[in-house]
Amino acid sequence: MSRRRALARYLAARLALVPVMLLLIASLVFLLLRVAPGDPVDAVLGTRAPEAARAALRSQLGLDQPLLLQYGHFLLNLLRGDLGESLNSQEPVSRIIGQSLPASLELGLTALLLAAVLGLAVGFSGIARPEGKLDLAGRLYGIGTYALPPFWAAMVVQLIFAVWLGWLPVGGRFPATLLPPQGSGFYLLDSLLSGLGGGNWQQLGGAVRHLVLPACTLALLLSGIFTNALRLNLRRALASDYVEAARSRGLSETRVVLRHALPNALLPVLTITGITVASLIGGALLIEVTYSWPGIAFRLQEAIGQRDYPLVQGIVVVVAALVVLVSVTVDILVAVLDPRIRF
Amino acid sequence: MKGLSPLCLLGALLVLLLGCQPHRPGGRLVVATSARVGSVDPVRASTFGATQLLSAVGDPLYRLAADGAVLPALAAELPRVSPDGLTVTIPLRRDVLFHDGTPFDAAAMVFSLERFLEIGTLSYLLNERLAAVRAAGPHLLELRLKRPTTVLPQLLSTINITPVSPRAYRDYGERALSDRFVGTGPYRLSFFSDQQQRLEPFDRYWGTPPRNDGIVLISLGNSTALYGAMRSGEVDVLLSTGLHEDHQQALQQQAGKGELREGLGPALEIGYLTLHTRQPPFNDPDLRQALAHSLDRERISERVSQGLRSPLRNLVPPAVSGAKRQIWPAYAPDKARRLFRQAGYCEGRQMELPLTFRSNIPSDRLMVLTWQAQLARDLGDCIVLQPNGMESTTVYRQLGEGAFPAVMLDWRGAVRDPEAYLFPLLSCSESVGDHCLQGESALSGSFWTAPGLQEDLLRSEGLVGSERLELLQAIERRTAAAAPYLPLWLVTPRAWAQRRLAPPRFDGNGRLLLQDLQLLP
Repeated sequence: MSRRRALARYLAARLALVPVMLLLIASLVFLLLRVAPGDPVDAVLGTRAPEAARAALRSQLGLDQPLLLQYGHFLLNLLRGDLGESLNSQEPVSRIIGQSLPASLELGLTALLLAAVLGLAVGFSGIARPEGKLDLAGRLYGIGTYALPPFWAAMVVQLIFAVWLGWLPVGGRFPATLLPPQGSGFYLLDSLLSGLGGGNWQQLGGAVRHLVLPACTLALLLSGIFTNALRLNLRRALASDYVEAARSRGLSETRVVLRHALPNALLPVLTITGITVASLIGGALLIEVTYSWPGIAFRLQEAIGQRDYPLVQGIVVVVAALVVLVSVTVDILVAVLDPRIRF
Repeated sequence: MKGLSPLCLLGALLVLLLGCQPHRPGGRLVVATSARVGSVDPVRASTFGATQLLSAVGDPLYRLAADGAVLPALAAELPRVSPDGLTVTIPLRRDVLFHDGTPFDAAAMVFSLERFLEIGTLSYLLNERLAAVRAAGPHLLELRLKRPTTVLPQLLSTINITPVSPRAYRDYGERALSDRFVGTGPYRLSFFSDQQQRLEPFDRYWGTPPRNDGIVLISLGNSTALYGAMRSGEVDVLLSTGLHEDHQQALQQQAGKGELREGLGPALEIGYLTLHTRQPPFNDPDLRQALAHSLDRERISERVSQGLRSPLRNLVPPAVSGAKRQIWPAYAPDKARRLFRQAGYCEGRQMELPLTFRSNIPSDRLMVLTWQAQLARDLGDCIVLQPNGMESTTVYRQLGEGAFPAVMLDWRGAVRDPEAYLFPLLSCSESVGDHCLQGESALSGSFWTAPGLQEDLLRSEGLVGSERLELLQAIERRTAAAAPYLPLWLVTPRAWAQRRLAPPRFDGNGRLLLQDLQLLP
């Protein structure tokens, strides 16, 4: 079978698994929420509401129906793309996700970009003299930043730069004194367009100022992953036969590293980037909570506390879909880029 | 020199960022809390953040002064009650406009009340008492009650029944309008998101206009962020809701030095312990008394909140009852030891007390740990406390199932009246002896009642004035003697403002008066 056909088969198999995985995840979250202690009626009415009021609300929310029927409705609506309404605010879940997902993506992608630049630079810096001081510092940096507890790091950064020095805002996504820019929900992009269109650069300044601390903190925590991955893979690549062959042909060390070792060392980093993106979509919870960043993880945490079933289910399904999408994309990219991969 | 380039770039970026600090326009003030507002519709508002917002953009029929006195707001005078106590007429103000320019009248009030009764999350507060509502005249509201109700004016001061414009809510009779509000209050809501709301003064407001050029309400997710924002001057006013005790203490100290201005509201929230009286060990009244005597409230309050929370030995807060005498058993370790001994403990046998607390509420955890240490010091040979942290939603779910021998909770009455503290903890619709099988007492986890107690509670509803208050006090004394609940402390709402502002003030329901916030000349 030709490589192209094998790749097409591999792609089809991966994509065919996506709906199955989503169904499993959706079913699991539906079941887990119902098994978990706590009642959305308590979260809405408090514990002292009369039984009649509680029963009325339960009926209004459809929670008095048999579990199987609730599950059937959930799946049917999911197939139609209807994620339901939040039990607390009665807003469509899709609208809530639409408002908070851009915030998470903006934070996550900015942090990922910074982390990649910083982490790869540190990882690359020690390569000239393996086991030298710079290499050792890079190794320590990689381990140290990876091991930092996120909430602690976020709080320390917040205390230093926002509270003591007062350089940057303590939290939130946008200055209280300005109206947020309208558009895609990505404030950086929207305020940039607003600046380009109307010359109002205050919004962009506000959006950047609010993004700096959470993005840098998250980037700091993630950069160690890139540092370690690059260091290990680059060292392995530099010790490989094809690099030796390149050296024996009289190529300069810079050319050997940049043209021969680095591209091969970056392939595993691509996989790691994919995994990191996937975990970032729903996983920057502590950063979002510390900096009051109104992202999807912050929303999820709040919804779990309120036992807002439709909102939790909706967020989990959407995040899962994105994670699966990113994973599949990365797998395919790696498969296309790396001729050694067999399907 | 090459190494300097990135540093220069970083420095330039920093200067740029610092230079981009947004200017604060005029007298618009930024007020911060930890409370996010999911919905601004009065039919959905049940959280502190939502009711605080509604109190600025809407008006109730009556408002409570700081001392609890009922004052007409949208009502022109106090309610007129028929001799049988079942019909109430309320004349309404004639000079009120909604934010959309339509006039406020009895028909609008009926529309808003019926909408609340139909789809309101907290409609049970009125549904229990209200049989029907109608417009008896263009500006005359008539309420038919199911039973005589003394607390009606307080109930009508609930911000959830603030009128909304029938024109704006025409399509929202059966569902909530979560992100807009068209009412009659001193401010218009000009922007709404769950993390930020902007309020502009309503220039056709019927009452005293706001003393500032507008308010921006923001919510920050944690105590450190709130405290930091106040310290760095990002916010002008900070509410104590959601602030950790140490941050409150630090702000109070700053206010003491004159660096901030502090305002205090009425203490309407109580912290208390519930004891499960249907099962051992607290089915023994002597052991409940022993535990009551072993609670050193002063020490615990000092350690947990550095005195910000006042020790409390009543179920009804003094601000509500007006009572000065504290009636629950006082801290007396000797008496506690004697009672524990009588029950067979202390001499080589320790009572193991699993105490459940809400793990997501920092003050609960601190209280339990402090009490654990205090008990180990005072009565270590008689009792050992076993803390059991659990997320609050789980605690609430399992409370009525009798899952906890002892649990720490808090409560704030829906209205400012003793009834709102006693009924939710003591009402019982089905009982056997001292055990409540069905009703509020069972739902609250104590399962305690007493012969004739429910009848007394119901009788109090038909009484007025001092006779009613005396009966309610007698009920509270009876509860204190049985000690199914152990009141612990009172929580006072606080707010801090920057020095350039006048001290913040609260209304009688414990909400910050946003329209009173003003810059000092």
